[in-house]
Amino acid sequence: MTAPTWQPAGFQRRTDRGQLCTLCPHGCTLSAGDIGRCRVRRGSRVAGNAGDGASEGDTIIETATFATSVTHILPVERKPLYHVRPGRPVLTLAAPGCTFRCSYCQNFRISQYGQDPQVPWSARSISTDEIVTRALIADAEIGFSYAEPVLAAELTLALQQPARVAERAILWKTNGFITAEAARAVAPALDAVCVDLKAADSSDHEQLTGAPLAPILAALAIWRAAGVWIEVATPIIPGFNSEPAQIAAMAELVVALGRDTPWHLLRFHPDYQLTDAPPTHPSLLQRARAIAADVGLRYVYVERALGQAGRDTACPECHYVCVRRDIWRFDGSELVAGHCPRCCRPLPGRW
Amino acid sequence: MTRYHFTEHIPDLIEPEEYRDDPEGRRVKLRLRVTERGVEVIGDAVRPEELERILLELDPEVIEQMLCG
Repeated sequence: MTAPTWQPAGFQRRTDRGQLCTLCPHGCTLSAGDIGRCRVRRGSRVAGNAGDGASEGDTIIETATFATSVTHILPVERKPLYHVRPGRPVLTLAAPGCTFRCSYCQNFRISQYGQDPQVPWSARSISTDEIVTRALIADAEIGFSYAEPVLAAELTLALQQPARVAERAILWKTNGFITAEAARAVAPALDAVCVDLKAADSSDHEQLTGAPLAPILAALAIWRAAGVWIEVATPIIPGFNSEPAQIAAMAELVVALGRDTPWHLLRFHPDYQLTDAPPTHPSLLQRARAIAADVGLRYVYVERALGQAGRDTACPECHYVCVRRDIWRFDGSELVAGHCPRCCRPLPGRW
Repeated sequence: MTRYHFTEHIPDLIEPEEYRDDPEGRRVKLRLRVTERGVEVIGDAVRPEELERILLELDPEVIEQMLCG
């Protein structure tokens, strides 16, 4: 577990300047020996016949993400995904690495591998057979979380068929920073995604993450059109994205995906390099939730700070509580084939 | 040197009802328990770095940490 194991990657194209990585919008062009901005994809010279049209001496891109630092079994509510198979366990995998550099990342000991010299490689190689076997033993779905799943796109695609055969859903908790080409390619493998939306203004987004916003919105549109179930999560960070106009603008972006899109408002905790901002006060989360409702969102969730009412799913028609949740776990559903048991309105989700 | 281990679950010691009274998030809670393997220290803090600073003073072999997501 001290060093990555490299394998040929997908999502690459030969150019005059080197091998172009087409996985994330950073679009690194890599020569042999170069490492991408994500630090888990590199250019490498082919020593023998690599197949896929590459000949000896060519440069190809390799990935280190057929690997995981964890094999946790967690409720799907932890992603958070609230409208997807409530209460189901998820075998959670995470290969180190991220395309963002969020200064407040709580998972920096995995996500900031290669960016932060104090973060060691903590993963081991894992095969699709092992993943599916573990998921079957635990009777769990399969989720990629904690670090950036986009960087495990090849492993996700390799899992697509065996996961379908084993009737396991594949879920991502992702920053959504992926090229349109890659977003289309992985969509058939994905059952549901929870995508972070950290700001509505691109300069604010760049300040928080080091990356532009537009590719994320494009990926959301692609996944929505492809039928991938989408939920959105946003940490409300005092002084960064917490003004009412900023919250309303983010809510508008979520509404653009459909008023039924669940939006999770997360409490910010000062962590990693962002320790001078205070934690999000419950009153701010309450205000943000009200703004989101005013903008038109029907399902806005706050996990802990507002009590159980912040977590439950109520019918937007008759307000009957159809799905109850405890902190990070399912507490019961009265849905009848996805419909409110009182007024029969269908509630959106992959129940 | 202390190693970090990522774990699925650590009990909460700070309840959501306490958030309003601690707007700066300075609260740290610790629970000490004697186990067959020695003294187990469970900590909870709104600011993880504050808790880690305390735990590292104890020079533990391993710090177990939950992750987000």
